[in-house]
Amino acid sequence: MSDPALSLRGVSKRFGRTLALDGAELHVQPGTIHALLGENGAGKSTLMRIAFGELRADDGVVALAGTNREWSSSADAIAVGIGMVHQHFTLVPALTVAENVALGDRGFWGGYTPARAAERVRKIGTQTGLVLDPTARVADLSVGAQQRLEIVKALARNARVLILDEPTAVLSPRESAELYGWLREFVAGGGTGILITHKLREALTLADDVTVLRHGRTVLQSAVSEVTEASVVTALLGDARGPRVGSARRSPRGMRTDAPVVELRRVSMKDARGVLRLREATVAVCAGEILGVAGIEGAGQFDLLRILAGRRAPSSGTVTLPSRIGFVPEDRLRDAIVPTMSPAENVALHDARHFRGHMPWRELESEAVAIIAEYDVRPTDSATIGALSGGNQQKFVLGRELRGSPQLLVVENPTRGLDIRAAAFVLDRIRSAQDSGCAVIVYSSDLDELLTLAERMLVCHAGEVREVPVEMEAIGRAMVGIT
Amino acid sequence: MSATSAFAEAVVRVATPLAYAALGELVVERAGIINIGLEGSIIAGAYGALVFAGHGGAIFGVAGALLAGILLATLFAVFVLVLRADQIITGTAISMLALGTTGALYQTMYGSVGAALTTPTFAPMVIPGLSSLPVVGRALFAQPVMTYPLYLLFPILAWWLYRTADGLALRAVGEKPSAAAAAGISVSRVQWLALLFGGAMGGLSGATLVLAQAGTFLEGMSAGRGFIAIAIVALGRWTPLGVAGAVLLFGAAGALQFLAQAMAWPIPYSISLATPYVFTLVVLAVARGRAVAPVALGAHRE
Repeated sequence: MSDPALSLRGVSKRFGRTLALDGAELHVQPGTIHALLGENGAGKSTLMRIAFGELRADDGVVALAGTNREWSSSADAIAVGIGMVHQHFTLVPALTVAENVALGDRGFWGGYTPARAAERVRKIGTQTGLVLDPTARVADLSVGAQQRLEIVKALARNARVLILDEPTAVLSPRESAELYGWLREFVAGGGTGILITHKLREALTLADDVTVLRHGRTVLQSAVSEVTEASVVTALLGDARGPRVGSARRSPRGMRTDAPVVELRRVSMKDARGVLRLREATVAVCAGEILGVAGIEGAGQFDLLRILAGRRAPSSGTVTLPSRIGFVPEDRLRDAIVPTMSPAENVALHDARHFRGHMPWRELESEAVAIIAEYDVRPTDSATIGALSGGNQQKFVLGRELRGSPQLLVVENPTRGLDIRAAAFVLDRIRSAQDSGCAVIVYSSDLDELLTLAERMLVCHAGEVREVPVEMEAIGRAMVGIT
Repeated sequence: MSATSAFAEAVVRVATPLAYAALGELVVERAGIINIGLEGSIIAGAYGALVFAGHGGAIFGVAGALLAGILLATLFAVFVLVLRADQIITGTAISMLALGTTGALYQTMYGSVGAALTTPTFAPMVIPGLSSLPVVGRALFAQPVMTYPLYLLFPILAWWLYRTADGLALRAVGEKPSAAAAAGISVSRVQWLALLFGGAMGGLSGATLVLAQAGTFLEGMSAGRGFIAIAIVALGRWTPLGVAGAVLLFGAAGALQFLAQAMAWPIPYSISLATPYVFTLVVLAVARGRAVAPVALGAHRE
């Protein structure tokens, strides 16, 4: 076998206290499509950014066609023929297609002229079928065309190894098919493709080889012909279940009614670009019930949960929500609290829009004190919320959202970043809310957490919402789009 | 000289210092920075021109103006690009600092009766042939030499901005610095160079006031031209051609006061003096909402 086109050996990378990569391995044969799979946070993007020179590995070797390389920046990687199409595009919307391709070219007098840049775009178009109007402004291009432009940019710098990070995440099925068709031709012509994706079935149809990362380690390297979907799912999710937090699932003691307190009917959501993020979702939740929600990043759960929490209006469909809703968003620091403000001020924020005129600070102070006591927030005399640890912030936010006994509680990743004790406390409080008749909707990227909490499960995949049995296998398969 | 050609001559004269300042600010803003400290570069340039011209003649004065303008822009760049201070606050502080410092220095060095002091100046340079064109001939081609480089600077800037890789890099930095950086462009280097150029142009604007028009220095003689230049760049929609047009429009607004005097219109002098500033407000109100400003303009980068 010839030298791998790209080889990453024993690569480790630490961000602060997190070990993102722990001796990861990736060996990509020339003229093949290689799928790199893994859950959120498994280290796929980190590994590829190291290969592209955007990050430096703490440890390990990057080799190109058998020669060890060290990049000081991505310019070095580009110079030897590596191209990367990022998940979030690096295009300048106000400039034209040709200008974006020419961006970064050197030379004051020679090199760049608009006519030459346009010619280059047309030439690549005829050679590869990636046809773009060189004079079009990027802001006016569809997402699919923007993606083509990212690839054209890489090809204009003579990329022979092309890294595609979640290329189809924002594409329509037809655009995806076109992209994959092109990628096969690129590889047939001697190029090499590395595909980072969450879409297991697509990866297994398209790729020649597959590498699976889990928690920063390579857990599977194989030719696609030698694996099954089931074996890849096992590698992705891992079969060893760690010690679990909180008690096991049990039947609720609370008051159950069969009349739903929350109802979505055929609810769809488009983002600012007009891309459909959520397609005709229909959801009903009863009082005293815990509904779990799972989905890989960008599968539509973000919008679904915000619609359910009453924080966002859908593009179409009917929504019935109760009047009192608690919402604990995933990003506490950004969306739930103002870190530099006091506990009482943060309590006031919860329904700030109902206040008029003089603020009842004394009442709010005593409410903050009550929450701090009841939810075991420590230290009890913190001047600002930002001074608390993440776990104590989370307890405070949960306490604030549960005050005034809401009819619905929407929680995202309730225990992320919390230690075992705080996590157990939070889960316990969620269950008590359920027992007192609150409808609860929990999103978590930790499937085990969902398994211990949820009585029913919804899974989002590519904007579709589907109810699945509360079983690891079924959830995992639905998340990667296997029906 | 007819009233029309006198008016046209006044338009170009008023427009010249504004044109330098706006040209520099255009480049700065295309790099994503708004330099309110431009006023400081102009008054520093004026003072630099006075001091240097006193020692070595008008040409030497231009060099002094360039130096002083660049010095103030360097101060702004250190705060904004190195220390990551807020652009608006830094720019305002630098303008105040320069206005105060030049005033104090002038009083210290030349005394409070310095108004009598005059410096070497550029006399109008009549270009044979072209200056005989009807109406605009004398207005465009019988000006002090400070005006003439502008006739080349605007087209050169337009060519550089849209036809060279460096111009492309500048525009990309102002629109989306992260994308420019991903393409291997050093964002801070581009912004540094843009600011230094903007400072140099601000200095030339001040040099024009002293060496080609007033023939002396007055405290606060920049008279808000730096702020007006910022409005001009917005009205000109961030393109060289647009800015050139906007400069002439503001030149006309400023020249109205001379016309009013010449024609003995019954307008109080103080009101005709206010014309350019009222016009600036009107322009900002009208130009609002159609902005095509560089997306990253004034953005605070961590």
